[in-house]
Amino acid sequence: MIYHGNPVSKGIAAGPVFLYQPFTAAVSGDLLEESAVPEALNKYEAARKNAEAELKALHARLQSADPEKAKIFTAHIDILFDEAMDGDIREQIENNRYPPDRAIAEVFEKYARILRKAPDPLIKERASDIRDVKTRLIRIWNGVPEKNLSSLPAPAVIVVHDLLPSDTATLDRKNVLAIVTEIGGSTSHSAIIARSYGIPAILGVDKATEHFSQGETVIADALTGQVISEPTKEQLRGCAEKRRRFFAQQDQINTFINKEAVSPDGVRVDIELNLASVSEQALEGEKYTDGVGLFRTEFLYLGRDSLPTEEEQFEIYRAVLTKFGGRPVTLRTLDIGGDKKLGCLNLPHEENPFLGNRALRLCFDRPDIFRTQLRAAFRASVYGNLWLMFPMVASIDDIFRAKQAVFEVKKELTDENIAFSPDVKLGIMIEIPSIALLADFAAKEVDFASIGTNDLCQYTMAVDRLNPAVNEYYQSYNPALFRLIHLAAKSFLENGKPVCVCGELGGDRLGAAVLMGLGVRKLSMNISSVAQIRKLVNELPMKKAEQIAANVLALSSAKEAEQYLNSALKEILS
Amino acid sequence: MYSKITTIQNKTGLHARPASDFVKCASKFNSKITIKNVDDDETASAKSIILILALSLSQGMQVEITAEGEDEAAAVDALVELIDSKFGE
Repeated sequence: MIYHGNPVSKGIAAGPVFLYQPFTAAVSGDLLEESAVPEALNKYEAARKNAEAELKALHARLQSADPEKAKIFTAHIDILFDEAMDGDIREQIENNRYPPDRAIAEVFEKYARILRKAPDPLIKERASDIRDVKTRLIRIWNGVPEKNLSSLPAPAVIVVHDLLPSDTATLDRKNVLAIVTEIGGSTSHSAIIARSYGIPAILGVDKATEHFSQGETVIADALTGQVISEPTKEQLRGCAEKRRRFFAQQDQINTFINKEAVSPDGVRVDIELNLASVSEQALEGEKYTDGVGLFRTEFLYLGRDSLPTEEEQFEIYRAVLTKFGGRPVTLRTLDIGGDKKLGCLNLPHEENPFLGNRALRLCFDRPDIFRTQLRAAFRASVYGNLWLMFPMVASIDDIFRAKQAVFEVKKELTDENIAFSPDVKLGIMIEIPSIALLADFAAKEVDFASIGTNDLCQYTMAVDRLNPAVNEYYQSYNPALFRLIHLAAKSFLENGKPVCVCGELGGDRLGAAVLMGLGVRKLSMNISSVAQIRKLVNELPMKKAEQIAANVLALSSAKEAEQYLNSALKEILS
Repeated sequence: MYSKITTIQNKTGLHARPASDFVKCASKFNSKITIKNVDDDETASAKSIILILALSLSQGMQVEITAEGEDEAAAVDALVELIDSKFGE
């Protein structure tokens, strides 16, 4: 049988089930005699003291190893001594003659419900901390010793209704193969802790504690969100293979994601990030890259009815520049056309939007939009190392017009006494064959080039890359494309101007090898490619890359090139 | 009775550590102290971490701190000062 859940922490494992039944709080119903009230209050006080001692011990044990997780227990002590709850509990005991365990249960539940109603998911989640402390207090009241997952007899897949925060914080990490729970979302304590420990976790598997029995073997596949009971031999072999591959991939990421990209013969390549939004997750890539090779700005214009203001853009550009410190942030001006429906920019329908009024052409047509973006970018330039580049440049005249617009914006800012950096670099995207062929002239006009291999391939091969019917004509390894890149890169490099590649070819191992050989020393890619390209650079001598590139330029078809690259790089790819 | 209105200025609002600091400060005083979200009139005891969290007070919100008791003025002033200090952020 296959059961489904929400995979909140990636990984896969097979092993025996450990059904974990935490202490469940059953409370007494009988009311107290009036004479028993003072003693009940004393016992309540004593239970709180014991609970505090347990929490302090847990805190002390975690404090040096994992101070972040130790904080959970400080928060629990805060809850234990919450004045409002304490007052309510005492009132229930004194006025309503509730036995303390019932008073604790009812009052804690009431407050947990209050938090559950909070709009903020993080605060909602705190309700589980209240229930955790409640369970602890009632367990102590019943004289039952502490039970948790801090020591397991053997490696196992934990199956549980829900893990309490204190269970997850004290988890016996080396023996937990995976976690399967019946409830919980991706922001729950269980999910956060599982991710931080790298333990595969599948949450929200309905009735998991009823489906699986103690000790039976299951596969917990947190890559797909499946839990498989009574797996066949074949499924177990598949699981082992998937697990091996997952770890190999993780190892590669862990080994190389932070390793400086220097070839065995000592040539450094900058590994930069392609950024298409400024979400926290997207900006995580900052830790692993040498800058932003392509900061797409289209997201600012999508899904809204009004154009983004100068102020709005300035704040976003400033945030990214600040985040990357002195490292280059290559901002691409608006690259949009008639293929996109924009609420803020009523673009007319075009027969051939990829050959139409798009990107830089559109910006020349709508100087107000261009000017606003350039002003925001230049104002933000004082906060970091801004490189500004223009997409869809087809001619030298396009470069002159773009530079003229920059000149005017700089003049405006100077007149208004607004500061901007004098060191902003200006560059062009090379994605139209005409400018690749004239790169020797272009290189004298700008500070750098960035090769957009996706569009360059589309315009060189005359193939719409969004049309599946002509998919086979979209050939990234076509030597014609490499010859154009070679020509453009050579012109810029001879003029001492850096060349970056920010298309998909830069994050592709076969493509990156050729690009290195053609002299490209900056590759920009999505975060998911960073580790594999850092590994490639570290293992491929530049001399060999040059040889490989020369050989590819002498081939006649994409198919030949791909075959050749696969065999020439065989050892590195394995 | 003594009360003052101020605005939450720190980024995280009255959550996590700031909320805990706020309650610790309030608990030093004997007066009965409340904190109110001025916009919707929701009020909570300033000495209850849970009820304060439940108010979900975030940056930019106006709050009224009220105290009643022997040290009411000192309590309100200390709590307003703490909020205005942005909790050391």
